[in-house]
Amino acid sequence: MVVEIEENCREKEIEEVLKEEVDLQFHWYLFSFFLIYFGSFLIPGIIFMLYYQIFFIPNVMGTKTIISLFTELRPLISLILMPFIIISCYVLHLFFIAIITRRLWAITEKKSPTVDGIIPRNVRSRTLNYYHIRSFMIKYPKYLFTKGAFPWLANWCFNLLKSSKIGKGTTIEEQVCADKNIDIGENCYIGVNSVLTSHLVDGIFGNISYFKINIGDNVTFAGLNNFASGCKIGSNSSLLPWASGGKHYTVTGDNFYSGLPLRKIFKKKINEYLGIPQNIIAEEKKFRKDPNNLQDLKKALEEYNDKKLKIIEKSDTNVEEINDPEPETPSSNADFVLDFTTSSAISHVGIKFLIFYIPIIWLSGILVSCFWYEWTKHELSIQNDPMSWVPTIIFLPIVLFVMNFIFIFGCLFITKLFLIIINMIHKPKEGVFKAEVGNNDFEFWCLRTELKKLPIYITRNSPLPYIDVWAFRWLGLSMGFSAHLNDAWCDTEFVELGRRVMVGQGAVIMSSMVVGKYLFIKKVILDDYVVVGGQDTIAPGTIIGTDSVIGALSTTNYGQVLEDGWIYFGIPGVKLKENRYSESKREFIRKVDVDDDKKYEIKHDVNIDDDKKERFK
Amino acid sequence: MSVPASLRCGPFTPSVLVKKRYIIFYIALIWVSFFAALLELWVYWQFLYDWKPIHFWIFIPLVFFLMYVTAVLVSIVFARFLLIMVNIFHKPRTGIFLRHPSDRDYRYWSIRNTIKRWPIWLSHKFPFPFLDNICFKMFGVKTTFSNSLFEGWIDTEFIDIGKKVVIGQASIIQSAIIMGNFLIIKKTIIDDHVKVGAHCVVMPGTHIGEKSILGAGSFTTVDQKLESGWIYIGTPAKKYKRNRFFEDNLEEKLESLQVVDVDELRMKYEEIFFMRDDKHVSLRERLKKQKEIFKDEKRRLKEG
Repeated sequence: MVVEIEENCREKEIEEVLKEEVDLQFHWYLFSFFLIYFGSFLIPGIIFMLYYQIFFIPNVMGTKTIISLFTELRPLISLILMPFIIISCYVLHLFFIAIITRRLWAITEKKSPTVDGIIPRNVRSRTLNYYHIRSFMIKYPKYLFTKGAFPWLANWCFNLLKSSKIGKGTTIEEQVCADKNIDIGENCYIGVNSVLTSHLVDGIFGNISYFKINIGDNVTFAGLNNFASGCKIGSNSSLLPWASGGKHYTVTGDNFYSGLPLRKIFKKKINEYLGIPQNIIAEEKKFRKDPNNLQDLKKALEEYNDKKLKIIEKSDTNVEEINDPEPETPSSNADFVLDFTTSSAISHVGIKFLIFYIPIIWLSGILVSCFWYEWTKHELSIQNDPMSWVPTIIFLPIVLFVMNFIFIFGCLFITKLFLIIINMIHKPKEGVFKAEVGNNDFEFWCLRTELKKLPIYITRNSPLPYIDVWAFRWLGLSMGFSAHLNDAWCDTEFVELGRRVMVGQGAVIMSSMVVGKYLFIKKVILDDYVVVGGQDTIAPGTIIGTDSVIGALSTTNYGQVLEDGWIYFGIPGVKLKENRYSESKREFIRKVDVDDDKKYEIKHDVNIDDDKKERFK
Repeated sequence: MSVPASLRCGPFTPSVLVKKRYIIFYIALIWVSFFAALLELWVYWQFLYDWKPIHFWIFIPLVFFLMYVTAVLVSIVFARFLLIMVNIFHKPRTGIFLRHPSDRDYRYWSIRNTIKRWPIWLSHKFPFPFLDNICFKMFGVKTTFSNSLFEGWIDTEFIDIGKKVVIGQASIIQSAIIMGNFLIIKKTIIDDHVKVGAHCVVMPGTHIGEKSILGAGSFTTVDQKLESGWIYIGTPAKKYKRNRFFEDNLEEKLESLQVVDVDELRMKYEEIFFMRDDKHVSLRERLKKQKEIFKDEKRRLKEG
C-alpha cells in the first residue's frame, strides 16, 4: 500500500521537479544577532565601566602598598566587590539576551507562527524564511546559556522564550537542538551529546519535517540518544546509550529501552547491561506505582551496596589476574583490512607547543591592547570630566565586538604565517605513516593540527561562530560560505566541501585516523548538495557524490565511495533508497509505535504559505 | 580540531543540581579565582603603569594569559580543599543509588560535581589542554600527560587511565550514570595504548584491556570487561577481530589493502550490531503480523 502511494505521486510530479535553492537571508540574521548582542551588553557594560573607572582604578590601583590594600576600608571593599560585579554583569548580560530574544521571537511568531508539518525545502517561501530566521536567532542565546558558566539557567531561558517547554527539576546536559518546539516533563535527565531535533532536513532539495517532540516525566537519557521530529516518549522510560528513534517514534514508557532504533529490553537484559539485580528492579517498579514504597527500595539498595563492598574487599586479597590468552592464529590479509573506524584525536600534546601558542596570543593581544588604549585614552579622569566618558561607555558593546574580531584576525594571520613556514619545511601529504615520535610525517601532522587548533577554537567560540568558515578556508580546507559546518568536528586539511553542503549536529569528519601504530591520511570529498546527518562519523578517504544523503548515526568506512543521488544509512553506510525527496509527497507522515512494533500513516497538512499550498496537492 | 557548538562537551561534570543552595560553592570558587587574578593585575599595574606605560600595554596580553592560568590554578586548589572537606562528611563510594533528593550519596555526588564544575569549565575554555590534565589529576583521575582526552567527555572521579590512551571525538567515558531512578557509580579502568573511537559510550565499571580498540559508534555495558589486544565493535561491544596494527613494517600492506565490498561488510556488522538473540519469531507469525499492519494502514488511510 505504502509503496503504491509513493509510486503514484512520482508519476504525477515527475514532469516538473522543483529544485530552487533556498534564500539565506543574511541581512535578517545579522540584524537580529547584532540587536541581541548590543542590547544585552549595553547595561551590564555601563555598570561595569562605571564601577571600574570610579571605584576600582582610583581605590585599588591607586593604592601603592599591598598592606594598605587590605587594611584600608575603601580599597578592600572595592577589591572584594569586583568579582561580584563581574559575575552580576555576566548574569545581567544573560538576562538581557533572553529578554531581547523573546521580543524578536514573539514578532516572528506573529508573522509566521510555528506550526507542525512538513516544510518543502525546494520552493522558496515565507514559512521557510521565518523558520530559518528563528533558527539563527536562537543560536546565540542557546550557545551562551548551555555552554556558559551558568548552564542551570538554560531551562529558564527556553521557558521564557516560549520556544520550548521544560519542566521543573529537569537537567539537560550539554547537547544540541533541545531549543525549540520541544516539551519536556518534570524530573528528567537528558544525557550528554543527546540530540532532540524537532526540525529535520532531509536532502538539500527535500523537506524540513518540523514536529513537536513530547517527552514525559521522569525520563532519563544515558547519552548519545538521538530523536527526530515528532517523537513521543512516555513517562518513566529510561534509555541506554545510543538508543535512538527516527521520525514519529512513539514510546509508551515505564521501561528500559536500548538499540538502534530503540526497542524494549527484557528484565534479564537489564541485569546484564546495567548490573542491577532483579529484586531491586522489582522494588523500583513498586516505588514507581506508589511513592510510599521508597523505604523498601532504599533498604534493598543499601543491602546490595554493603554486600558488594564486602565482595570487593575479599576479592582484592586473593584473586590474581588470570589472563588466559586464546591461541594465536596466524595473521591473514583480512586482519589488516581497515574495516572499522576509530578517531583522529592526537595522542600526545606536548608542552612544547606553547612555543607557538604564546607568540600567537601575545602578538594578536598587542593589537587589541593598542585599540583599547586608544579608546580609553583621555587627558582627564572620569571624576573630573564625566561627559567625555559618555561615548566611551555607551559604545562599549561595539568596542568589545571589534576587539574580539581584531584578536581573531590577528590570531588567524599569525597562524597562517607559521603554517606557511612549516609547510615549506615539510609538505603535507596523504598516505600511511608510522604514528611514532621520530617519523617526520607524523610529527609535522601533529604540529599542524595543534597549531590550527587555537585560531579555530577562538573563531568557534566567538560571539558570531559562523565566521569559522573564514578560519577553515585560511587554514587549508576548501569550502564556501553556503556550506554549513557549524555543529560538526572537522579536520582542517585534505577536506573538500562543495556548494550548500550541510553537515549535521555532532558529526565528525576526519581526513586522518590513528589505528595502532599507524596514521592514515586520505582526502575526504563531499560534493555539492550533500547532507551529512547528525552524529555521523566520516572516515578518511570517503567520497560522497552530488545530492546524496547519509543518514544520522551512520559511519562510513575508510576509503568508501558513495554514489550520486542516493540515501545511505547504517554502519557502514549502504544504499537505502534513491534520493527523491524533491518529488515526494508531503501530506502523509509515517508513525512508528515502538512497543507494539506497528507502523501506520496519517495525513497532515503541508506547512507552507497559503498561496503556494496548491502546488503540493 | 575545532570545537563545535555541539560536539566537545565543555566541563566534564554533570550539571545536576539537587538543591539550589549548592550553587554557593560555585560562586565562592568564582570569587576566589577572580580575586587572585585581580591581585596579580594589581602587582603588574604598580610595577609598570606609571613608570613605563608603553611596556605596560605591550606586555598586558601576556599578563592576561598568566592571570587566566592563575585563576584556574587557584580555583583548582580551593576546589580540592572544599572536596576534602565535603568528603570528610561523606566518603564517595561506588554502588547503585537512588536518584532521589533523599538519598545521601546522590546529594553528595551532586555537591562534588558542583564544586568541580568551575575549575574544569575554566580550564576547558582554554584551548591548551595541560590545564585539563592538572584538573583531572587533582580531582582523583589517574592519567598522564601522554593521553589525549580533550575531544570527549570524561567523568572526574573513579577513573583510571593508563598511558597513551586516545579518546575519540564526542566519546563519553563515564563512572557515574543516571538510569531511571538509579544512579550507578562504578570504577572505570582504561589500560595503556587503548583507542576509543568517535561517538562511543563507555559505561561505569568497564575495564578495557591493553592495546584494545573500541570502534566508532559502540557502547560498553556496565561492568563489561574487554580483553586486551582485540578490536571491539557494536552496541553493546562485541569481539570483532584481533588488533594486529601494532606490528612493525605494515605501511605498504595497509596501503594496498582496502575494503572492496561494502555490502558484505555491512552484513558482517549487522550480525554484530543487531543480533537479537532474546526474541525468536517464526516466519508464519511474522507474515501474520505484516498482514495485520497492512490492514491497519488501509483502514487508517480510508478514515483520513
